[in-house]
Amino acid sequence: MADTICRTLRDGGLEGEHAPALTIKDSKASPFGFDVFNYVLTQLSNYILAGKSQSRGLVVVAYSRSPSFYVDLLKRRGIDIASSHDWIHILDCYTDPLGWKNWLIDKDISQEASSLSSFCQDVRNLDKLYSLIIEQGKGLIGQGKDRFSIAIDSVSEMVRHASISSVAGILSNLRSHDQVSSIFWLLHSDLHEIKFTSVLEYLSSMVASVEPFNQAAFGQRVDLENLSMLEQNFRKGKFHVRFKRRNGRVRVMCEEILVELAGIKFTPVLSEDEIINQRLLPKVSIIVLS
Amino acid sequence: MKAAQTPHKKEVPCVFGRPPQLPITKIIRLSAALLARHRRCSTPTAALSLPPRVCSLRPESLSCRLSTIYSWHFTGKTKLCSVDAAMATTKPRLSSFSRNLSAVSSSQTPGVKCGPNGTMFVSSGIADLDKILGGGFPLGSLVMVMEDAEAPHHMLLLRNFMSQGLVHGQPLLYASPSKDPRGFLGTLPSPASLKHDKSRDRESEQEKGLRIAWQYKKYMGENQPNFDSHRDNKQDYCNEFDLRKPLERHYFTRQRVNCVGIQDSKNLAALQEHCASFLAQHQRNDGSCALAGRIAIQSLCAPQCEHSNMDWEMLSFIKSLKGMVRSSNAVVVITFPPSLLSLSSTKRWQHMADTLLSVAAIPDEDKELAKLLSGYQDMVGLLNVHKVARLNTQVPLILEATTFSIKLQKRRFLVLECLNQAPVDGSSGSSYGTSGSCSGSSKAGTLDF
Repeated sequence: MADTICRTLRDGGLEGEHAPALTIKDSKASPFGFDVFNYVLTQLSNYILAGKSQSRGLVVVAYSRSPSFYVDLLKRRGIDIASSHDWIHILDCYTDPLGWKNWLIDKDISQEASSLSSFCQDVRNLDKLYSLIIEQGKGLIGQGKDRFSIAIDSVSEMVRHASISSVAGILSNLRSHDQVSSIFWLLHSDLHEIKFTSVLEYLSSMVASVEPFNQAAFGQRVDLENLSMLEQNFRKGKFHVRFKRRNGRVRVMCEEILVELAGIKFTPVLSEDEIINQRLLPKVSIIVLS
Repeated sequence: MKAAQTPHKKEVPCVFGRPPQLPITKIIRLSAALLARHRRCSTPTAALSLPPRVCSLRPESLSCRLSTIYSWHFTGKTKLCSVDAAMATTKPRLSSFSRNLSAVSSSQTPGVKCGPNGTMFVSSGIADLDKILGGGFPLGSLVMVMEDAEAPHHMLLLRNFMSQGLVHGQPLLYASPSKDPRGFLGTLPSPASLKHDKSRDRESEQEKGLRIAWQYKKYMGENQPNFDSHRDNKQDYCNEFDLRKPLERHYFTRQRVNCVGIQDSKNLAALQEHCASFLAQHQRNDGSCALAGRIAIQSLCAPQCEHSNMDWEMLSFIKSLKGMVRSSNAVVVITFPPSLLSLSSTKRWQHMADTLLSVAAIPDEDKELAKLLSGYQDMVGLLNVHKVARLNTQVPLILEATTFSIKLQKRRFLVLECLNQAPVDGSSGSSYGTSGSCSGSSKAGTLDF
């Protein structure tokens, strides 16, 4: 199912259609959202390098990790960094988001990462950020009709410096841009009011939620009885995805996730499907016409 | 209290005074029923008389409330005379409740048809929805559609509504939170070819014999004789739109189509001004309708708009828009996602609407739902009718069903159907929830002849 998400992002949007947008949301009960984000990022990068995706480039807007982290991540996954100048670009909103350290530009970042990244020193100005993203993306794909993808590693960080409407505005504008093939972002849902989460779900075409493996164990006192259940929550979780299909129907899928040192693994869950679909049954009052 | 049989030959329905315990609403209903009965006479005259000394109703209040039930023209001041005075009149006279025949005549304006109670309708662009709502959207009303964040079905309603207006040459004002609102016009559907219209009419006529007809006709048949006369012009009033065929460009250039973007403005003042100037061009004068106008506002509280945080400003905008449209020959359709509003705001918006609809997504590849409902494979969503506009009347429209399935016939034509339960497997011995007529045999095994 996670592969289904990646394939949907890979295939991109049709002509005249908004780009598919994925929200990955987690909470402190199951904080594996970033692992899922890295997985999707890696898969999409593989597709771009192999030439199988609609997009030919990827712009990573890094709020919560430095560009060096992403370079190392891609190297660990066996992705060729040497040739990455023409397909990936990292917009660094992590090092100096508010422009306080103008004079430290070249000191904190490795040379390799600095060649792939550029700074954004005023994350409060989302219009400028929008222009930067589009400019970097066009720089990767050239002047033709090709498209690029965008990854925002945390909209939770983004909304710290800007209003909800301006964040919604930039995401909506990016989705509707002709040259954006797909976009995905990470959200820590328990940091925000429900309204912000609702806004992001409204704007996206896929919503992936990471939930605790044992919901009942979360929040409980640690004792011998529920220790094993709590331990499971430290490594495992549930991954629910809701796809908004083009025909207006909603497809719901569920998998289990296991987080290891090497990365995250997804395993299908067969028995959950029926339970989930039952929850989605509309409350329909059937009137018998006699 | 009952209608008095007067000593004179001519029966004049009169309502004597009422006992103190009889509620006012009963008086209204009984009066209306008596007047309705008398209305069918060739000379529709009636006198409503109340002995003032026993009636606690103010005559103005009673006459006003009765006049809203039937749009009868008031000739001069309303006079409620005493019973004796009413009995004394021997010749019929045009009283306060004489019928204004001109209001009932068919409208000459294309795309507009007359309905009961002096209202005029424009089509929603979806024939099934027009039937459900009793004729279409009344001019002067505010229609609100609650979006589902997981489905774009409100766009289908908007597209059909806008296309229908453009086909009829009705001016259109469209407001949208997107960067390029005018681009949306390119997605409007075109009327289906005549060949398909005829074959569909034939099919639908044949299917009428097999399908359960809308029950509303039983309730509204007496009061809406005009619908039968308009059946021949059904195609003119409401077209069938092919969602796969874009509307020809000459419809945009020929007519006045104004597109407004609401994302970049700081508040709703600009949109309000656009709406006010649009509606000023369609003021309702002396009951005639020169040309109807349509306003379509998509996703009014969309999160990318700066005004989406201003709950009270949005509410006061809707209130002022409703007030302006009431005195104009126009219809306003507003869609909004209630999941992005607070609960109290959502309730307030719902109360503002004259007609309130909502769309909902359905789960995909749901075996349980496929077993429960017939035609699940063709369904793309659900439409709920929460409220239907009733102007100039206090009689509500009670629908037989409020939830309908949205289907795309041949992936082109939007239809709404009542939900039908899938056939129950008798051998399984179980029936679903509220199944009525078939449940009697649910426990029986296979039929044994």
